[in-house]
Order: sequence, then C-alpha cells, then structure tokens
Amino acid sequence: MHGRVCCGLVPHLELARRPELIGRPAVVRRDDGRVLAASPEAAASGIRPGHTLRQAEALSPTAAIVGTDPVATSRLAERIAAQLYDLAPVVEVRLDGCAWLDLTGVPHPGRAIGEARRRLREAAGVEPRLGLAPGPFAAARAAARARPGRLIRVEDVRAFLDRLPVAELGRGAWPGLLDAELLERLDLLGLRTLGAVGALGPRQLESQLGRAGRTAALLARGEEPLSLTPWRPLTVTGARCQLEPPVEDREALLFVARRLCGDLAGELGLRGAGARRLAVRLGVEGGSPEERESVVRHPLSSAAELFGLASSWLREWRPAAPVTEVTIEAPELEPAGRRQLRLWVGGDGSAEEVEAALERLQERHGGETILAVRPALVTSPLPRQRYALCARGGR
Amino acid sequence: MQEERLRSAIGAIHVRFGSHALAQANRLPPSRPWPTGQPAVDRLSGIGGLPRGRVSVLQGAPGSGKLSLALAMLAQATLEHARTVVIDGHGGFDPWIPDRLGADLGALTVVRPPTPTAAGEAAVALARAGAGFELVLEALPEAALSPLESAASRSGCLVVVVAGAQAWAGGANMEPRALAHASSLTLQLERLEWRRRRDLVMGVLTLVRCVKNKLAAPGAEAKLEVRYPLGPRQPADEAPRELRPAVAEISQPEVELCTDESAAG
Repeated sequence: MHGRVCCGLVPHLELARRPELIGRPAVVRRDDGRVLAASPEAAASGIRPGHTLRQAEALSPTAAIVGTDPVATSRLAERIAAQLYDLAPVVEVRLDGCAWLDLTGVPHPGRAIGEARRRLREAAGVEPRLGLAPGPFAAARAAARARPGRLIRVEDVRAFLDRLPVAELGRGAWPGLLDAELLERLDLLGLRTLGAVGALGPRQLESQLGRAGRTAALLARGEEPLSLTPWRPLTVTGARCQLEPPVEDREALLFVARRLCGDLAGELGLRGAGARRLAVRLGVEGGSPEERESVVRHPLSSAAELFGLASSWLREWRPAAPVTEVTIEAPELEPAGRRQLRLWVGGDGSAEEVEAALERLQERHGGETILAVRPALVTSPLPRQRYALCARGGR
Repeated sequence: MQEERLRSAIGAIHVRFGSHALAQANRLPPSRPWPTGQPAVDRLSGIGGLPRGRVSVLQGAPGSGKLSLALAMLAQATLEHARTVVIDGHGGFDPWIPDRLGADLGALTVVRPPTPTAAGEAAVALARAGAGFELVLEALPEAALSPLESAASRSGCLVVVVAGAQAWAGGANMEPRALAHASSLTLQLERLEWRRRRDLVMGVLTLVRCVKNKLAAPGAEAKLEVRYPLGPRQPADEAPRELRPAVAEISQPEVELCTDESAAG
C-alpha cells in the first residue's frame, strides 16, 4: 500500500545554480564530452542528454556550454533537501533536478506541496513542475508532464502509466533502469507503451531482460518497486565570531553569545535537529583556547535554550586573557528532538521541550506535582475513584 | 533631526533586543485563531477562535458554566495538541467531564503546584516550552502574568484562565487588574437559568458576553446552553472517540431542552 509522493521538477542543478543561464539555451558538458543536461530552451532545439557537443552545437549554435562543478551542485542539492526536510518525513533531492517528498502521514499535504513549490522556486529560480502520485516513479512522470508551477495529480496510476511510451523506463528517467539496448529490445518485441510492458508481467520480462526488466515491468504496473533514499541532516554544526579588539567585558561576551546562539538555533531549525552536546570555546589572546562542553539530557534547539546553557558558563568563566574568538558548537546532533517541527500540528513539535519543562518542575516541586490521568473505576459514582492521577512516568 | 534620533533609537532597540521587539503595526503577524469547536464562542472572539499565543479569560459567578465551557475546550484541545496542560493548584480538577466529552486523556497532564508562586512558575515554563493548550484553574500571582503573556506569545501556546470565585467576589469589575491587563480576550458568563429535567439539573442557560477583545471589537454576546454530562461512563463509551456536544447555542431562550443521548445512561 503506497502513500502519496510529490515530485517537484526543476532544471538540472548544474543549471539551477547558475541564475544567469535562466531563460537562455544552455547545455552542461560531461567529462566525456557529451551533454549532461540541457536547459528547456536548448531542449526545445532538440538537444538531449547523451548528445555529443558537436550535435548540440549543430542543433543550437547559440547555446552556452558550461562545465560541471560537482561540489557546488551537491551543496545546492543539500540546501534544497534541508529546506524541504521539515515538510515531509522522507525527502530526496537528485542532482538532475528531481525533488521528492513522501507526504504519507503529513496532516496538510496541500500546504506542504504549496510550500515545497515556493521553496523550490526560490532555490532554482524557476517555477517547478509538480506531480502527485502513489509512488515516486509515477510522481516524477506526472511532474514531467505538468506545466511550470502546476501540479498533476495521479489518482489511477495504472491508467496514467498505460499510455506512456517505453522510453519512460530509460535511464534518463531513473538511474539504473533500462539502457538504450534494452529499450531497443523492447521495441523489437513490439512493446511500445508501459501498458504493454505491464501486461507482459515481471517474470516474463525478467527472463528476457534480467533484473532491470522485472523492475521495469513492476514500474509499468504502478507497483513502485523503487523507494526513495531519505536525506538526513548533518550531525555537527556551530557558529563562531572573532572579536577585534579582544574583549574582556562579560556583558559583551554574553551579547555575542546570544547572537551566536540565535545563528546556531537557526541552523538547527533548518536541519530539524537539536544539540545533544554543546561546547563553548573561547580563544584567548596569546594562549591556548579554553573550552567547556556538556552533554544535555534533552536536545537543545531554540536560541533561548542554547543561550541558557552557554550563558550560565560564561557568567562564571574567568578567561586567562582577553577573548579573541567565541565559538559555540553542537558536536553531536540529535535527530529525534524537535526534528521536522512543521510536520506536526498544534505545537506538537515542541513536545520534547514540554517534557523537559515538566521534568524540571517535577524535580523542583516533587513527584506529586506533575500527574498523568489514567482511567481507574470509570463507572464508579464517586469522582475520586473514576480516574487515577499518577505521578508522571509511574504506572 | 528628531526623525534621525528616532531612527537611531529604533536601530538600537533592534540591535539589542531583536527585530521582534519593535515593529510597525502593519508588519505585525496576523492573529492566529484556534477554533474551539464551539461556533458561538469562535464568533464572539471576532477572529474565528481563541487567539493563539495569547491569554484568554473566562470569568463569571459560580454556576455560570465557565468551567464547563473551559473543559469542553480542553477536550477539543486534547484531540488537536500533543500536550495539553491543566494547572490545578486546588486539586479540584476531575478528568471525568473531559473524558465524557471525548477527550484524549493521554495528551493531558495535570500540574498541581504546591503554592501559587509555583503555579505561576509552572504556567510560564510550560507556555514557554510550547505546550499546545494550557488551562489555568488557579489564581496566578500578579508577577507571573506578564511573563506568561510573553512566553505564550513566543511559543504560540493557547492559555485559558478560568477566573475563579475569588476574582468574582469583588462584584463589578471583578477580575484582578493584572489578569484583565494580561488578557487578550475576556468572556464573561452569566447564568440565566438552570436547565432541569424532572428534579435533575441537566445544564445551565448562560449569557456569554465578550467584555474585552484586543483583536476585534468587543461587546458581542450569545446565549449558550451548557449541558452537563451525567452518569458514570458506560462500556459503550469505549466506542471510537469523537467529541460530544457539550455546549449548544440558543437563539431563543424558550427552546426545548437539548437531550444528550450519552447522558441518558
């Protein structure tokens, strides 16, 4: 049983990271001298990935040809994934411009799709094309057919896929699928639509084309054998500020620390994480840095929480010399705490913080202060017998 | 010159306290209502529900139905929020009514602080932590109200204070001034008559008036029939949970008694 997967399509990220190429015919050159990706304007001239540069030049003489920068492109993919991460439990962003969000269980999928559209538009500079289907393959195929800024929703996936040509099962559509030779064999077998491939069945196609054939047959039937590879946030982050001239005043240090905590909280919010460990390092003039570090029971994620701990250290800290640098780091992030806040409604994302506050109150005022309600003799006429108010954590 | 100085002062405030500390009125975020599940109350608020991140007050004489109305809101809130909290210093809170109204008791935590000061501390800490809904059945100390307002505003926590008998005892303008100041929405309930069936009190017909509203025009009023759930819980009540009506709006006072099937047992 599948949920709902939304796919947003933007140009290949090698093109998307170059805003100056928006609206112009442009191709990205692979190391082997072939076309890796073509802008919509270049594609309109007939340029396709896999063409040689000579072919591309012949088809569109004015097209700009740019090289690849895998590091910058991966960074853009990371940034897009981080921006989409709080909209859906599973997010995958591919370098070819496909971004998937598995919306299964998301309370307001419509809002999540709208927000994903806005963020993709901001990241790529163009309106994404959107598809919504029970699985990632069908969603991507739907998105490929949508107009920019529009969504195609696939309800009957089999009916939608049946009419598509078998070229949709090629490696251009999904890595690891059928190569050109296998597609040609399908053509020779007279299988020209996904409906025909699906009707043949996975076992028959596996016997002809191997494992890729089985996968292709299942995809053609809308059974979605390929799953998304969820993006996960990084596990360490920090914020740093150099002080020139060096600072001795404690209030000034606290002011800087507050700002750094705000930056760090923003970073943690982007990653949907909380700090499991917090470290504050002071670089001092003419000496080795001084550091304090602590493991926290509940992940810290808001600026107030981070500053609460950091400021308690700074108020007692006596640096050996004037401070030249303040670094606040979260060396260990906790993905379970406050992650993906906007996925939840009604402030549920802050449940961990509420738990922590309840624990603190319990420690401060005693075990009988915080009580959970459990049904006891619910049919009793005496109010006090109907429910047991038990200390939190007890049974 | 004066404008220059004003701009510089505004800049200093932004640097020191952040941009949220001072903002033009037209740049303030719009109020976010939380529909209470009681359409009449939502309409009285003028924004379609209780304002999130604000303190709302229900006040009235004993027997006016303010606690029943608050518990109906609590029952609704337990279904929508992961953490709902009741601050109950006097220990009088009985989970029975919310349960009969279909509340999810697993989402409910009862805080019974030993002193009013501790109650204030708990209310502020939980609002700051981002509890979804906080029902305060305790007279909070004046010093806690301003931090409570600020904490709720930052986290978006819904705080509902039931102004108790002490507040009512003062007669006109019964609520303490500090609570009146902290409140963004104050609903005053006035009992018009008991609703009885045979000799049994089944509920109360009450007039609800919006006496303070920072987000819309005050002064609106509505007649509500607050129905008390009666009888112990029956095994049949283990059926899938859905909120049962506890409050009905009455357009004409002479309306027949609304019978609650769940109460018949």
